[in-house]
Amino acid sequence: MSARRLGALLAAVLVVGGGVAIGLYVALFLEASPPPVQAAVIGRRVAALELQTVAEVGHGENSFWVSYYARTPGHKWVHSTILRVPAYSLVHVTVYQYDSATGLRNPLWGQPRGVVGGVMYVNGKPVKVLNPELASHTFAIPELGVSVPLPGVDEEAPNQCSNAPCTLAEAHNTITFTFRTRGPGKYRWQCFVPCAAGFIFGFGGPMQSIGYMDGELEVQSS
Amino acid sequence: MSAAAIPAAGPVREPWWRGLGRFNVFTGIVLGIGGYLIGALVIGHVLSKGIPAQTETNQNDIEFVCGILLGIVGFLVGMGFLNYPIARLTGAAPTLREKEEKGIARYFTLCTDHKVVGIQYLWGVLFFFLVAGLNAMLIRTQLLYPTEHFWSADNYITLVGLHGTMMMMMTTSMVLGPFGNYFVPVMVGAKRMAFPRIEALSFWLLPVAGVVLLAAVGAKGFPTGWTGYANLSVQAKLGMDCYLISFALIGISMALVGFNMLVTVYTMRAPGMTWTRLPIFVWSVIATAFLQLLAAPVLIAGMSLVLLDRVVGTTFFMPFSGGSPFLYENLFWFFGHPEVYILALPGFGLVLEILPVFSRKPLWGYRLAVAGLMGVALLSFFVWQHHLFVSGINPDLRPFFMFTTELISIPTALVFLNAMGTLFRGKIRFSVPMLFALALFFNFFIGGASGVFLSDAPSDVSTHGSFFVMAHFHYTIMGGLVFAFFGGLFYWFPKMFGVHLNEKLGKLQFWLFFIFFNLTFFPLFAVGMLGQPRRVSAYSPSLQWLNDWVTAAAYMIGLSFAVFVVNVVYSCFFERRRPEANPWHSKGIEWQLPTPIPVDNFERVPVINASPYEYGTPEAPLVANLNPSHAEVVAAGG
Ligand SMILES: [Cu+2]
Ligand SMILES: [Cu+2]
Repeated sequence: MSARRLGALLAAVLVVGGGVAIGLYVALFLEASPPPVQAAVIGRRVAALELQTVAEVGHGENSFWVSYYARTPGHKWVHSTILRVPAYSLVHVTVYQYDSATGLRNPLWGQPRGVVGGVMYVNGKPVKVLNPELASHTFAIPELGVSVPLPGVDEEAPNQCSNAPCTLAEAHNTITFTFRTRGPGKYRWQCFVPCAAGFIFGFGGPMQSIGYMDGELEVQSS
Repeated sequence: MSAAAIPAAGPVREPWWRGLGRFNVFTGIVLGIGGYLIGALVIGHVLSKGIPAQTETNQNDIEFVCGILLGIVGFLVGMGFLNYPIARLTGAAPTLREKEEKGIARYFTLCTDHKVVGIQYLWGVLFFFLVAGLNAMLIRTQLLYPTEHFWSADNYITLVGLHGTMMMMMTTSMVLGPFGNYFVPVMVGAKRMAFPRIEALSFWLLPVAGVVLLAAVGAKGFPTGWTGYANLSVQAKLGMDCYLISFALIGISMALVGFNMLVTVYTMRAPGMTWTRLPIFVWSVIATAFLQLLAAPVLIAGMSLVLLDRVVGTTFFMPFSGGSPFLYENLFWFFGHPEVYILALPGFGLVLEILPVFSRKPLWGYRLAVAGLMGVALLSFFVWQHHLFVSGINPDLRPFFMFTTELISIPTALVFLNAMGTLFRGKIRFSVPMLFALALFFNFFIGGASGVFLSDAPSDVSTHGSFFVMAHFHYTIMGGLVFAFFGGLFYWFPKMFGVHLNEKLGKLQFWLFFIFFNLTFFPLFAVGMLGQPRRVSAYSPSLQWLNDWVTAAAYMIGLSFAVFVVNVVYSCFFERRRPEANPWHSKGIEWQLPTPIPVDNFERVPVINASPYEYGTPEAPLVANLNPSHAEVVAAGG
């Protein structure tokens, strides 16, 4: 084979190889996603989700970032916000809140909405509207009309959590509420409090990242 | 690569690995990586010390941007772009040409031969097109289902932005890059471009921009689509820096190309090449070059200001300290609208160049065509706010921009008129280049007519931000420019490569492309009217069958490009049909020259005797006298 042909062949291989490499690179980016966490099924068309919010992950790539965590039915805390729940069901949510208050931009969000009975329970007590200044994060699924403010813990409280996942021994608030799912599909959920410390207006980094303050509710037919 | 393959009498060739130590793309890559590391880990690290917004957020824009900028400098140094300026500063005599490599190696170096740059551009553009086209296939795959998706919404918007930005960046040089650089000097009878090194620089910025843009994927993506609106862009992740820098690089490249083309055409025309003998393609290049030179700097400014907001904490676009997001929208679209004509005009010029050849008639209304091209170029600076009708601008401005936008259809229509006049009673040959050229008018008509609904403020309110817009600009850019590009490629491929592309495969590609292009984008007007927004992967389940139809058709467009790739490989390496000297019987000067065109194009300065469109006039002289006597040169005003 002449040098010219060999060169042409080499160039062709390089171009195709480059194309494939770029394709893989983009595909891997698209596929990147935290692992899905299944809600525990506790009855016919009833499921339970356990979440926690932490002020700082405390370790790993984005150790300064604020984040949600989710718990598997096997009681293991996973750094993920991809939540799998059954369709047309009640979902009981328990959020362990370890972060301190940031405050709501819009006081209207101080009211739990889209939840059964229009009420949430903070450490066991029913709350129909939260003082906007006490809110730390919200749990909101816009497509289902769900928006629940999560009260922050007192900054003076002893035994603050510094490394996620946090344990019940550390200072926290426990918030519970129940919402109803609709048909199967992917529903975006997120926190609406600009809580990303250090970023402009608190809207950067974790606020834009699935696995932190952003997530997907994968509603599956049961 | 055996020694036996080298003819014994030929010069001794150096081993290929010697090239690694010289100034070429490999050296450039090595120095580029080195530059990135020094920029990010040393300079950026020092500069960002003590700034919590950079160091405590795991998003250190200072390090990242310093790395990229120094990486770009490193690459250009490695390519050898500083050699000549430094040599001149130290007293070397001026030369017009870099020491040029031979064979395939010269495509990987700073080469000052405009024909090499044209071919570099061609493969660069095609590679970009391939990558961005594959992204489009992925986008359509995601849209197969209304609520069930393959990828998350965040990643999807990055994918859309990557496709859009890459295509918009690449298409700015899709015609001017390969065909402008290769043929404009030849067509005006010059031996080179006015600024050969700047020409090389304008090309090499393109792959750099491509790599920087692709790096956005590794830097967590960017959420803005191709328009990069502030202040979303100011708050976005690291990938945004890649978008800003790469788009600014393309802006620099565009301004350089425009400048170079203008000076070349103004100062280097051969004797006898009067303004009315200039090929219409060259006129379209002039119109485009004006747009590039005047619009691209605004883009560079816009990108730089956002970069400053992100990196050093200025607030040009942040209202809380007096900045304004409108400023960005105005800067962007003051560039962005002329850009769409930077894409459209060379396409018009190219098809008007092709039509007379394949209908054997002079170009009808040559002066009208020039007026049309120039009119579009001029008006395109007065319409940009039609992109902002629903953004909250002063409503009193709307009628003015509505009026100017609708006015632009008049010079555009002139181009259509020229085409129809040229075709009228012509002896039409439906060869592949002609098919592509004719398809442009069909597609662009639909694109233009749908544009009326968008330029009309009342109807824009309901179509803005929907798939209607998306269908509209794909009809103009893909249906216009990309069709023109393939027409030009089939037309000039025999000249550029000495190989005739297979006609049957060409026709197969054309029909697949034409039919499925329309089957893809026409339904998207309906999809948009029914309310599906751009850039969002969730849509109403009632629109699923239309979306699935579009996705299937889009895959078929992909197939048509696969046919093109097969055609190039088959024609170049298997069939190897040597074309006749002038396979289309064109009067263009480029076809009077031997194939391949010699390094200096013309042995002597030619004298131009006629317009290149005098078809059907048997007594018309050859366009160029390649071997003129002294008296002829003087007579032509040389
Ligand atoms: Cu939050
Ligand atoms: Cu426009």
